[in-house]
Amino acid sequence: MQNPYVPYPVEVIKIVTEVDTKDIKTFRLAFVNKEDEERFKYLPGQFAELSLFGKGESPIGIASSPTNPGYIEFTVQKAGVVTTALHEMEEGTMMGVRGPLGNSWPIEYLEGKNIVVVGGGFAFTTLRAMIQYMLNDGNRKRFGKITTIYGARTPGLLIYKDELEAWSKRDDMELHVTVDKGDETWKGREGFVPTICKEVAPSAEDAVTVICGPPIMIRFTLPVFFDLGFSKENIYTSLEMRMKCGIGKCGRCNVGSKYVCKDGPVFSLAELDRLTPEY
Amino acid sequence: MEKRLVKKDELLRIVKKVGAEFNVFAPVRVEDNVLFKSLAPGEEPLLTFANTKNAPKGVFFPRTEVMIRYVRTPKGTVLKGVELEARDAVLFGVRPCDARSFVLLDLLFDQDKYKDPYYVAKREKATVVTLACTPVPYTACFCTSVGGGPVDGTGSDVLVTDIGDAYLVEFLTPKGERLVKYFGEAKATAEAENKKETAAKEAIEQIKSVIPAREVKPILDVSFDHPFWDTIHKRCLACGTCTYLCPTCHCFDISDEMKYDDGRRLRNWDSCMFPLFTKETSGHNPRPTQKERWRQRVMHKFKYYVDNFNAVACVGCGRCVMYCPVNIDIRKIVEDISKLQQ
Ligand SMILES: Cc1cc2nc3c(=O)[nH]c(=O)nc-3n(C[C@H](O)[C@H](O)[C@H](O)COP(=O)(O)OP(=O)(O)OC[C@H]3O[C@@H](n4cnc5c(N)ncnc54)[C@H](O)[C@@H]3O)c2cc1C
Ligand code: SF4
Ligand code: SF4
Ligand code: FES
Repeated sequence: MQNPYVPYPVEVIKIVTEVDTKDIKTFRLAFVNKEDEERFKYLPGQFAELSLFGKGESPIGIASSPTNPGYIEFTVQKAGVVTTALHEMEEGTMMGVRGPLGNSWPIEYLEGKNIVVVGGGFAFTTLRAMIQYMLNDGNRKRFGKITTIYGARTPGLLIYKDELEAWSKRDDMELHVTVDKGDETWKGREGFVPTICKEVAPSAEDAVTVICGPPIMIRFTLPVFFDLGFSKENIYTSLEMRMKCGIGKCGRCNVGSKYVCKDGPVFSLAELDRLTPEY
Repeated sequence: MEKRLVKKDELLRIVKKVGAEFNVFAPVRVEDNVLFKSLAPGEEPLLTFANTKNAPKGVFFPRTEVMIRYVRTPKGTVLKGVELEARDAVLFGVRPCDARSFVLLDLLFDQDKYKDPYYVAKREKATVVTLACTPVPYTACFCTSVGGGPVDGTGSDVLVTDIGDAYLVEFLTPKGERLVKYFGEAKATAEAENKKETAAKEAIEQIKSVIPAREVKPILDVSFDHPFWDTIHKRCLACGTCTYLCPTCHCFDISDEMKYDDGRRLRNWDSCMFPLFTKETSGHNPRPTQKERWRQRVMHKFKYYVDNFNAVACVGCGRCVMYCPVNIDIRKIVEDISKLQQ
């Protein structure tokens, strides 16, 4: 019997500090055993439990794409016990990963459609995984037009800056990066994500939106997409609930009869409407 | 199906023989309580008792258990071992409601996709010998409302029924049949079986508490925002007694503990009645007051479990009814829900 509570051993091979406030870092992890990497077959949108023996576990979205084998990445904000301990770690440290857990962005459903990616703050992680996945040479033609709108409060709080730079040079994706308020060096857009979405006004025809960000951003962005003609079936988001087991047993992450860890974290707004508003 | 007749004064001797080969768990008196626990060598189980205060689910899903051990090394803290030990065990004197709870817990812990190896390992190694409720022990019992019954064999490998002058012993599963050899040679007579049927009928009649447990499901489907939820929780102390005693509650917490360089990851029972259960690091709590927590408890048992497994997650044991310090009665809650005006 496979024991879903035992993490795979991994080594921290690279740590990148993403933001100027230094409380968001990306951890690149490599599996110690090759077989474990093969068993860890994942899709963008899934998450894993980062496991620090002696400290505990935290559910974190997978920020890398399976199209980049050899490692997995997680972008983590320093919050409590486990995430603080993570932030104190150095490259070369051993830790554990349990997963992959949950469902994923609805890849099959997204195929052949135009994709609008909307992200705010550091909740951009599994969206970045999705973008990497779609931009992969072998995958790009499986998806239609890709429009990405990503915002943070300040330029220093944007994550994956080098990658944003590289994406902005591509002609097979439209990228709009915005900040609430720029600084002396900022040459890009200024404005809140909902406003930029309204300006960009992606067409709802054959299109699906995937959106992640702070609740307030989501609250003001959704009406923009409804006005553009997106139905609730064609807007997907990812939920967060406090978690422990990650496999639908410990009973704490349910929204109605669905467990966010097992049946989610990705839901369409139409699916969420059928659940209870308790998250 | 094998059936045996066992003389009244034989049963304790049989349990003792079984105990020589198996780890036996059974009801015993501990100070003022009757508890379901592992029999110490020479210790005798109770044969006449109402029900144990703690639910026997603890044999498979202990209040606290070690999942993983680890050790600190210069390169980080690494896995040392996984605690998955399970011995052949016999659970003797389980009540039918509690035996039924095992089937409900199996639905959750023993799913196709994710099996909980700690629960499953212990469960597979255990044989459940149930002692039917003739007579029915409490006025709070309502097993017949949730699909069970005082002489029901669901979840049992062996069912023992007191038929007055003897015990009728029915071996319901192959696992149970492995124990036939301990129960003597006297085959059950037609007369004994008739007596059992009569005893079962009488027992069912003794149950006075009947609630619309299945019937409330369609009402719950549309009552999430009903003002009714404001009326239950106000006196609840969030003590967690109801969930800790409940044979079907399965929520747990996972925590880490280190001493010097050695550490362990433990799982402990947790409770949806506790404010911190769903509280996130940000401070956000999707169930901010006892109102939402009580709604969760009722919904989980009478709607969500039905949605997911087509079963009500209550076996009608009456423990939460009897031991809630402020007398919150789940039977009354279910009854009230059945009368809600939409
Ligand atoms: C599906 C999912 C994906 C997530 N992805 C990311 C991500 O990519 N980056 C990131 O920085 N954070 C993410 N989070 C939030 C992250 O899990 C919490 O910030 C983290 O668990 C806090 O743990 P801690 O030990 O530092 O805090 P403490 O307060 O010390 O933690 C206590 C324990 O509570 C649980 N817990 C507390 N808050 C949360 C929460 N919001 N969500 C889930 N469990 C919680 C954890 O089990 C944690 O170990 C995600 C959460 C979920 C559910
Ligand atoms: S909810 Fe109450 S009556 Fe039902 S099984 Fe649990 S403790 Fe027993
Ligand atoms: S036993 Fe009673 S007081 Fe305690 S948590 Fe349950 S309902 Fe509340
Ligand atoms: S985290 Fe345990 S049930 Fe979802």
